[in-house]
Amino acid sequence: MSEPAAHYDVGTRVVRHRLADRLYHWLMAAAMLVLLGTGFLPILGLRFAWVDAHWIAGVILIALVLFHIFRALFVLRYADMWVGWREFRQSFAATTKEVLGGRSARRRFGKYSVGQKMFHHAVAIVVLTACVTGVIMMVGVDSPFWDRNPLFITEKTRGVVFLLHGLAGLFSITMIIVHVYFAIRPEKRYMTRSMIRGWISRREYEVHHDPKLWGVDE
Amino acid sequence: MEIFRYKSDAWGQRVLEGASWDLLWFFVGAALVFIVLHAIYKRRLLKGSADDE
Repeated sequence: MSEPAAHYDVGTRVVRHRLADRLYHWLMAAAMLVLLGTGFLPILGLRFAWVDAHWIAGVILIALVLFHIFRALFVLRYADMWVGWREFRQSFAATTKEVLGGRSARRRFGKYSVGQKMFHHAVAIVVLTACVTGVIMMVGVDSPFWDRNPLFITEKTRGVVFLLHGLAGLFSITMIIVHVYFAIRPEKRYMTRSMIRGWISRREYEVHHDPKLWGVDE
Repeated sequence: MEIFRYKSDAWGQRVLEGASWDLLWFFVGAALVFIVLHAIYKRRLLKGSADDE
């Protein structure tokens, strides 16, 4: 059931993100913004009834994450998101060399660069932490799923759960700001377009991507 | 800058409440520092390429 590597569209376009994955990405972005807004604006002094909006957005995020896990397991290709040790070492060495003023040969990558894959994995850790701790915290709130049970966990455990949930939120802020920065950088805009419209041009594919790492079906 | 928030439980003991919200600006700042450093790195890289041509 795994999807073919990529598809040419009339020889000029390569499909990079299918509609289901694009919808997942943008709905997740919307859920994250609602969660961060309802989570942090009250801390910054904006007073409003944030609890219901927060857990509802959280439930939507969990549903989206489960949908994505299903697609990752049964539809998408593991290889596209897997970071190999050799690939990581090469990318790290080349970037270090460039940062120190040296030159390195321009690297073509597969569907995603090493940086993008590492970012994905960091997001996965942070979002999964937020989801798991969020569900535990939700037990203390009345919802359509259950009546609140404030004694579900001990006070000490609650502190750890709140700490992890808070840290997940804080890391999310950093990651979203950095993600938006990369999305609007000139050399990355073709990727941003692909997350909106689904495709990259054949030329963009040939310039930036290595067919050996991300093959296409013609 | 505090890293944790504490509160007193029903027995008056000091217990962990969560992450300190003072960290909010640290995380925003970390993102901004990364962006500035990356922008400088890319600019240097592009300048280096232009000088070679």
